Amino acid sequence: MKINISSNSEWNDEFLQKIENDGPWGNWELYKLAVQMEENLIIPDFEGLQAPKHLPHLTPLPHQLEAAKQVVEKMNGKAILADEVGLGKTIEAGLILKEYMIRGLVKKVLILVPASLVSQWAFELNTKFHIPAVAQRKSYVWESCDVVISSIDTAKRAPHRDIIFNQEYDFIIIDEAHKLKNNKTKNYEFVQNLKKKFCLLLTATPIQNKVEEIFHLVSLLKPGHLGNASLFSEKYKGKGRNIIEDEHLKELVNTVMIRNRRADTGIEWTKRHVETITIEFSPTEQALYDAVSQFKPISEGTKGSTFSALTLQREACSSREAVYYTLKNMKAKYEDPSPDYMEKLDDLFTKVNETVQNSKAEKALELIKKIDDKVIIFTEYRATQLYLQWYLQQNGISSVPFRGGFKRGKKDWMRELFQKNIQVLIATEAGGEGINLQFCHHLINFDLPWNPMRLEQRIGRIHRLGQEEDVRIYNFATKNTVEEHILKLLYEKINLFEKVIGELDDILTKLDISNIEEYLIDVVGESKTEGEMKIKMDNFSSLIQFAQSMKEGEVHAATGNS
Amino acid sequence: MQQQEIHDFLRTYFQANDCEILNDGGSHLTVQLSIDMDKELMNRPFYWHYLEKTGGIPNPAVITFITNPEQAPADLKGEMIHFGSPRLHQIIQSTKKLAGYTRLFENAPPVKSGGNNPLFPWLTLNVKISYQCDRKKDTFMSIGLNLISGEIMEGFHNRLLPIKVTPKIPDYSFTLSPLIMPKSGLARLDTYIRTSFEGDDHLWAEEAMKRWQDDLKLLEHFYKDMEEKSDSYFTEKEALKAQYEPNIRISIINGGLFYLSERALG
Repeated sequence: MKINISSNSEWNDEFLQKIENDGPWGNWELYKLAVQMEENLIIPDFEGLQAPKHLPHLTPLPHQLEAAKQVVEKMNGKAILADEVGLGKTIEAGLILKEYMIRGLVKKVLILVPASLVSQWAFELNTKFHIPAVAQRKSYVWESCDVVISSIDTAKRAPHRDIIFNQEYDFIIIDEAHKLKNNKTKNYEFVQNLKKKFCLLLTATPIQNKVEEIFHLVSLLKPGHLGNASLFSEKYKGKGRNIIEDEHLKELVNTVMIRNRRADTGIEWTKRHVETITIEFSPTEQALYDAVSQFKPISEGTKGSTFSALTLQREACSSREAVYYTLKNMKAKYEDPSPDYMEKLDDLFTKVNETVQNSKAEKALELIKKIDDKVIIFTEYRATQLYLQWYLQQNGISSVPFRGGFKRGKKDWMRELFQKNIQVLIATEAGGEGINLQFCHHLINFDLPWNPMRLEQRIGRIHRLGQEEDVRIYNFATKNTVEEHILKLLYEKINLFEKVIGELDDILTKLDISNIEEYLIDVVGESKTEGEMKIKMDNFSSLIQFAQSMKEGEVHAATGNS
Repeated sequence: MQQQEIHDFLRTYFQANDCEILNDGGSHLTVQLSIDMDKELMNRPFYWHYLEKTGGIPNPAVITFITNPEQAPADLKGEMIHFGSPRLHQIIQSTKKLAGYTRLFENAPPVKSGGNNPLFPWLTLNVKISYQCDRKKDTFMSIGLNLISGEIMEGFHNRLLPIKVTPKIPDYSFTLSPLIMPKSGLARLDTYIRTSFEGDDHLWAEEAMKRWQDDLKLLEHFYKDMEEKSDSYFTEKEALKAQYEPNIRISIINGGLFYLSERALG
């Protein structure tokens, strides 16, 4: 077999030059040292990990070392790292990157992460791995630095995009890669066009809703591994999340994906304590809730209408500000509404104005004072977030907001403020992902998302490796509202909150429901009577419980990394 | 690599570069850098530029390295040095740079009193051979070529280690002129190195080729339905080549000319 052999002639030229000039010559002691040290740096085997030897201050967990080894030896440096939240995917990625850099196979590296995580990645790679990673802030960085960290949103924009496409990257890491599940997005297209010699995709939730998501992720990494698009959808379409039941597909996916589960790692986790706090509306709040429940918003199709009505109800459980904001948008949206509709809207505005207190906020204040420690409050609504910040401030409690839309510097700053000086951090959903707040162990769910995975992610912000205290979660639910239905009929029945992180993920994988949120909206919104809804919810939760009992019987067989 | 070995390496490096060792505690080392070494290691060109322009008094840095944190005094401030620390790798690179080429003479006692010692010219190379695909391993090779007889010896560096050498030609010694010119000597050594692994079984490369072919097949399949292939197809194809294509790289660590007596190599 013909193998390309290369050598560097520069040494020869300089040597001949030195002979001609009679020196200068290196000293014998140094000459011997150079050989001795180089011999130490020789890597005698294709197999095995060199990185741990170089990182005496890092003690990776066994599953992290195993993952790194597997990616290098079995997966040829292209893998989806899909450990459950909080098992240290960053450490695994760092180990793998370090390994390739030590072996001299990788020099130029691009790391794409959510904006809120850029500084954190830079910090971890520099301090834990001695990898000189640079957060991209100036455009010359792309060319002049070898290891660059950026958000995908920055990277895909001009002028960065073209500069990036002109670089020869050896290694690409993408954090929170589940955001690339849709192959129609600009982000997907951008990543698809990157040259990926070695590549890691990091996500805790490789499949959120549809089986196509895993197809798109794998196709980014290794096009063709799961066949081409038409063939794949022919074979698996409509199979929902239970595709992992398909032995063949499972096997294929497992050759490019590593998924460690909390239960398999044998790590001792701190406990979760969950407390549901039921809140009763004040009369004016009740009046607002009732009014929006009666209201039928104009929208295309019945589904849309149900959705808007439910949104208003859920918002009324959060704050009147959230309701106001949505109503205002509704009003602005229709150019030519009927007088009747306008009247109804105006009536609702009046109800908003008449609402004089926020019972949940009062409860939150009381709780925060009692806790007397750092607290994170999650809300679905930005209007609620603003209101809460104002309300707490009125009552002498310092807080900082946190949103996905913040610029990176601001996110870092908010996190820092929260860690050092401020008692409360108020985050909206978009801010929930990818920020690590394990220095805090109290979490208030001011309102609840209807997608259990999102709830997981919220909790995962504080219940992760590095959390030393038991985690306390307080769920707020207003009595006799949609919120209470979801909490009591679903989340509590399936013991969602007590589950260790990721277990739920497992269970949902078994269910053939393509979109849980849509399903719940359907159940809650379209049921004609409360009885009907209860029955449907019961059915749904027994389904989950059934899947759970199935799972207990075959913990490893089902979805382990065989 | 043991911490003790790192400690010894640092000490030798700084001594060989004329830096004063201010304190050697076994677990830590404090060094007064010379001006040249400050320029080499401290990366502060502006300081030196400024100083040279203004004619100020140079104040090269003092650095403390901690090689064994468990035994070093707890309040000692210094840089932790371990196998993976960037500073160690900087110093290794510097060592290679400062000692890439040498020419030395054996300091041999005369064979008989009053006689003169003939010294034979040897050209030597220490090389690292890297076998690279999506994985990589290295081997080390040290060879020497007698520039008169054309004899080639392996494991040359280890044979040199016990010999007393000096940078200046010793009294009562004289060098024999090479019959093989250094340039063609280098060519001979290069050929020798290349033939050394020619006969090896290159299973690693065959396996890499197979992995490459497998991934290529998948890629073709993925884009099968696309009549005019998109850019991403070609990018991906390039990436597979970069990932898997086997090659062997020869890199020279250092080398030089050694003038040795006939008996030196036994």
